[in-house]
Amino acid sequence: MTHAISRKTYLFTFLGLLGLTLSTTLLGFVDMGPFNMIAAVGIAACKACLIAAFFMHALIEAKVIRVVLTGGVIWFLILISFTLSDYISRSW
Amino acid sequence: MANPIALLLREQYSTPVQQRETSKLGMWIFIMTEIMLFGGLFLAFSVYRMSFPQAFVKGSADMSIVLGSINTAVLICSSFTMALAVYSAETGNRRMLTVFLIATMILGLVFLGIKFTEYYQHYLQHEAPAVWFDHTGPDSGHLEMFFVLYFLMTGLHAVHMLVGEGILTAMVIRNHRGSFSADYYTPVEISGLYWHFVDIIWVFLFAIFYVEGLHLHKL
Amino acid sequence: MSTAVETRPALNYLNQETGIRSWLFTLDHKRIGLLYVASITFFFFIGSFYALLMRLSLLEPNGWLFGPGTYNKLFSMHGIIMVWFFLIPSIPTTLGNFFIPMMIGAKDVAFPKLNLLSWYIFMVGGLTTLFAMIHGGVDTGWTFYTPFSTSYSTTWVTTAALGIFIAGFGSILTGLNFIATIHRMRAPGMTWFRLPVFIWSQYATSIILVLATPVLAITLLMIGVERIFQVGIFDPALGGDPVLFQHMFWFYSHPAVYIMILPAMAVISEIIPTFSRKPLFGYEFVVYASMMIAALGFLVWGHHMFVAGQSLYSALTFSFLSYLVAVPSAIKVFNWSATMYKGSVSWDTPMLYAIGFIGLFTVGGMTGLFLAAMGIDVHVTDTYFVVAHFHYIMVGGAVMGYLGGVHYFWPKITGKMYPEGLAKLSALIVFLGFNLTFFPQFILGYMGMPRRYAAYAPEFHTLNVMSTAGASILGIGYLLPLAYFIWAWKYGADAGPNPWRATGLEWQTSSPPPRDNFEETPVVTRPAYDFGGMKEELHLG
Ligand SMILES: [Cu+2]
Repeated sequence: MTHAISRKTYLFTFLGLLGLTLSTTLLGFVDMGPFNMIAAVGIAACKACLIAAFFMHALIEAKVIRVVLTGGVIWFLILISFTLSDYISRSW
Repeated sequence: MANPIALLLREQYSTPVQQRETSKLGMWIFIMTEIMLFGGLFLAFSVYRMSFPQAFVKGSADMSIVLGSINTAVLICSSFTMALAVYSAETGNRRMLTVFLIATMILGLVFLGIKFTEYYQHYLQHEAPAVWFDHTGPDSGHLEMFFVLYFLMTGLHAVHMLVGEGILTAMVIRNHRGSFSADYYTPVEISGLYWHFVDIIWVFLFAIFYVEGLHLHKL
Repeated sequence: MSTAVETRPALNYLNQETGIRSWLFTLDHKRIGLLYVASITFFFFIGSFYALLMRLSLLEPNGWLFGPGTYNKLFSMHGIIMVWFFLIPSIPTTLGNFFIPMMIGAKDVAFPKLNLLSWYIFMVGGLTTLFAMIHGGVDTGWTFYTPFSTSYSTTWVTTAALGIFIAGFGSILTGLNFIATIHRMRAPGMTWFRLPVFIWSQYATSIILVLATPVLAITLLMIGVERIFQVGIFDPALGGDPVLFQHMFWFYSHPAVYIMILPAMAVISEIIPTFSRKPLFGYEFVVYASMMIAALGFLVWGHHMFVAGQSLYSALTFSFLSYLVAVPSAIKVFNWSATMYKGSVSWDTPMLYAIGFIGLFTVGGMTGLFLAAMGIDVHVTDTYFVVAHFHYIMVGGAVMGYLGGVHYFWPKITGKMYPEGLAKLSALIVFLGFNLTFFPQFILGYMGMPRRYAAYAPEFHTLNVMSTAGASILGIGYLLPLAYFIWAWKYGADAGPNPWRATGLEWQTSSPPPRDNFEETPVVTRPAYDFGGMKEELHLG
C-alpha cells in the first residue's frame, strides 16, 4: 500500500482550515453588506475543497469518483440556480 | 495458513482491489445523495435569505460567534484526527488507529455538547420556534423563519453526527477484534469519507448562519 | 426453440434453498427481484382498485357513489400508491435487479446486503403509507401541494408522507447499488459500448434516482416538520412560500417521470432487436439519448408551474428546455422503428407490448409538447387533458414496458413458458382497454372538464361512460396475465435457456439460472445484439 498523502500534507491542510475559519470570523466584523455572505460562503467553499481534496483523497482517487463529486455539486447548483433565477426575475 | 485477504473477499467480487474500489465508489455516490438532501435545505435558506434580508441579518446577530467558531475548530480537529486514523490504518498501526478513532469521537461529542448549549441559549432567549418563540415587531415572522431553518439544518447535521459516532464506535470495536490490517481497512476509509463530508456540511452551515450579523454584535 | 437442448437444470436459484426464511433473508439479486415483483403487484392492484372506484363513481355526472371528500381521498391514494409503490420501483427493482448482474456477467450486484435492505425499507415505507390509507386516507393529491397539505388538510398527511420518505431511501440505495454494479462488476471484455442498452437505460435511471430522490425526501421532511411543529416553512400566513415547495417537489417529480419511462425504454430496446433479428439501429445514439434524457430531465421541472406565479422568464426557459427533451425521445422512437424496418419481425407477445409502447408513448410525448407550450398549457392546466397525457406516458408507456418485459424475461426467470395465445389476447385487451379509457379524456380535457372533481357537467357524460367502460376492459387485461403467470409458474412448458434466440449474456446460461448466474465467469468478445455472430456460433456448434 502506498501512502499517497503524507502526514505533513494532512497537517498543512489542517492548519489551512483553521486559518480560513479564523479569517471567516474576522471578516464578519467588517460590514460589507451582502458581500459578508458572499465572502463567508466563498471561504467555506475553499475549505470544502481542501477537505475533499486532501482529507477525502479526491485528488488521487479514480476518475469516476471525481466525476461523482463534481456531478453532485453541479446538480446542486442546477437546483439552486434555476430556482433562484425564478425569484430574481419575478420583478423584471 | 489461509490467505487472510481471500477470507475478507466477498463472493461477488473477483479481486480485493475490485472490492475496495467498489465500496469507495458506493460511499461517494452516497455522499452525492447527501449533497442533494442538504441541498434542498440550502435552497430554502437561500430563497428566504433573499426575500427577508433584514430579518436574517438580525437572526444571524443573535448567534454566538464564540461558540460557533470554537465548534468549527473542534470539527476541523476531528477531521484531522480522522485523516490520521485512516493513515494509521493504511500503515497497519492498529493501536494508533484506535487512539485516533476515539479522539475523533470525543471531538465529535464536544461539538454536539457545544451545539446543545447553543440550542439551550436560544431557548432561553425565546428563539425556539414551536417551543418558545416570542419576538415582536414587523420582522418577527421572518425572524422565526430564520430560526426554523437554523434548527432544522443544524439539527439534521447533528443527526448525521450521531450516526457518525455510531459508525466510529463500530470501527473501534472491529479494530479491537483485529478485523483491520494494512491490507484491509476499507470500512475505516469509507467511514472517514462520511465523517469528512459531515464536516464539510458544517463548514457551510457556519458560513451562512453565524457570519452575516457579526458586525452588529455587541460582544 | 431451435438449438436449445438443455432442459431445466436440476439445481437452480429457485430450488437451491427452500423455505420462507431462505426468501426473506436471501442475498441473491434474483430472489430479491422476485420479492419486489410480489410486492409491487400487490400495490398495483390496490392502486387499480382505487382507480376502479373513481371510474365507477364518474359513471354519473353527479358522482353517485362518493361525495367530494371521499373522492379526493381516492385520487390521492391512487396517485400515491401508483407513483411511489408501483411505477418508481416497477422495472428497476424487479427486472433491473434480476438482469443487471446477469447482463454484465456478474455473480451479483455490488452490495447484496444493501439490496435486501432496500427491499425491507421499501416494504416498511409501503406499509406505513398503507396504514395511513386504511386509517382514513389522504386528500391532498399525490402532489402534497402546500399550504393545503401543511395547514388545512386534516387527513393522514404526515404518516403517508413518512411512508414515502422511508421508501425513498430504498430507491436511493437501489440506484446507488446499480451504479456501483455497472461500474465495477462487469465481466472481462464487457466494455461500456458492448453493454446492452437495457444496462445503459438502467444506469441513466439510477443516476436520476440518486440525484432527485434526496430532494423529495427533504421536501417531505419539511412538510412533516411544518405540520407537526406548526411552524411556517411553506405557509404564506407565516411568511413561507408555497411556490418554493412546488420548485422542490417538481425538481424530483419531473425527473421521476424518467425514472418510470427510461426502464421501460430499456426493456423495449431489448425486445425489438430480438424479435426483428437485427442489431439495434444506431446503438450509440440510443445510448447517448438515454443519458441526455436523464440530464435534460432535470432542467424542465418548471413546466408544472406555468400558472403558479413563476416568473415569465423562468417559464419561457423551462418551456424551451421541455421541447428539447423531445429530441432524445424522438431519436429513440426513430431508432426502434428503424430496427424493425426490413427485419424479420415476429409477433410474439413481448413484441406486441413493445409496439404498443412505441405508439402510446409517442401519443403521450406529443401531447407533452402541447403542454410544454405555455399558451396551450394555461388553457388545459388541471383538466383531463393533463390526466390523459401522463397516463399515456405512465400506463401506456411504463406499464406496457413492464408487462412486455415480464413476458420477455419470464422464460428466463422461471424456466417456463406462458400460454402464448392467451398472452396475445390479453395484450390486445390491454391496448384496446387503455385507449378506450384515456383517449376520451383528451377530448374531455380539451372541452374543459377539470380533473380531481367528484362531479361534472352533464355534457361530459358520454365520454365519461366510455372511459369507465375502457377502465373495466383494462382491468380484465391486467387480471388475465396475473392468472396465467401463476398457472405457468407451475404448469408452463419448459422454456430452455434461450427460447427467443436472443444474444445477451443472460440467455447463455440455463433457465432458471444457477445461484451464481453462470457456471464460470463469461468473457465477452462481441458487441451487443450481434445476431450475425450468433448464427456463426450455431453453425459451429
Ligand atoms: Cu414534467
